[in-house]
Amino acid sequence: MSDRKTTPREITFQVRRFDPDSDVAPHWGEYKLHVHDGMTVLEALHQLKAEQEPTLAWRSSCRMGVCGSCGMFINDLPQLACQTQVLHLGTDVVTVAPLPNYENVKDLVPDLEPLIEKHAAVKPYIISLDQIEINAPTGEFLQTPEERESISQFTHCIKCGLCLAACPTVATDPLFLGPQALAQAYRYSADNRDCGLHDRLEAIDLFHGPYQCHLAGACSQACPKGVDPAFAIQLLKRTLVLDSIGFGKKKSSVAKIMPLADVVKAIEEFAPPPRTV
Amino acid sequence: MRETRLWSLHILVLPIIAVLLGMHFAVMHYAPVFYGMSVDKAREFSTMIERGKSVTQLVLYILLLAAALYHGLYGLRGIIRELPLTPVLVKVVDAGIITFGLFIFAFGTYVTWWTFSYKIGG
Repeated sequence: MSDRKTTPREITFQVRRFDPDSDVAPHWGEYKLHVHDGMTVLEALHQLKAEQEPTLAWRSSCRMGVCGSCGMFINDLPQLACQTQVLHLGTDVVTVAPLPNYENVKDLVPDLEPLIEKHAAVKPYIISLDQIEINAPTGEFLQTPEERESISQFTHCIKCGLCLAACPTVATDPLFLGPQALAQAYRYSADNRDCGLHDRLEAIDLFHGPYQCHLAGACSQACPKGVDPAFAIQLLKRTLVLDSIGFGKKKSSVAKIMPLADVVKAIEEFAPPPRTV
Repeated sequence: MRETRLWSLHILVLPIIAVLLGMHFAVMHYAPVFYGMSVDKAREFSTMIERGKSVTQLVLYILLLAAALYHGLYGLRGIIRELPLTPVLVKVVDAGIITFGLFIFAFGTYVTWWTFSYKIGG
């Protein structure tokens, strides 16, 4: 019995095309390609471009699910093209379109500017009360394995924007901060080294902030890195509510684990042996 | 005000609404079960006036009115403000909902007070 998810065969690719210089509206291009087991959608696109349609445009880089560049709407689901094997989709016709909820720059290239703007708005970095220590560090900051674990999954975000493409709230309310930015707001606010929750309130404690989430959970399903932004939004709500009634976590400035000089010494101790060639 | 406080309040009034609405249902719609009185009798003007003379009823109904209005209008604001509105329209919506809420609250309070202070036969 043949397995449709491994048997090499001809697949029809329906790719949404749009060139702002010549097209009034997007249209679909249809291409046929012989697909072998293990071929990803991104590889298929490269082959189509090389052999059939040299003007086809998309954005990609690492080819291994790390850079988050190749997010596309594949068979009506937001997915990374480099992580999606064509035969695993199980269909003889594969549709590839640009991510929804973004402006379309060209063909499969979405304009990720809103993602970046919302991400930047929540101040996604450690905000310390001790600016002197931040500018001229004298030691390492203490973080226990438990404290790290509590934020671990949210640090895996690669800013691919699939969660915003999947989010039904973003579809109807473009001002909604969205799962990516809100998850990062929680990731940094929950970090024991951060004291910046109040600096972020201006950006997140708004109508279009976490309370606008409709709890669809599509963001968590779409995330290619296993992050659960829907959960982060609920945790952020809890953080904000506790803070608003004065029961928020009281954080002091950074705690140091050892002087910087000792860190340098430790690194030198474990340095690799000198090169022999 | 921070959205967190508005949202928290909209959640906090839920148990108040559940309890008070339950009491309202017990009095008005389940009178045969809880008071051995027919529903028609429970809804008669004279029965309502009699009930309305209770200070407890006065306080609880005004509290229910406030809680239900806040919860409902906060939800309505959420639905309307999901529409693509200009900043001016956002202010109009917020101000309109507050004005409408205050008006309904004042009217409901007046009716409840009128019932409380109604003089039978006078």
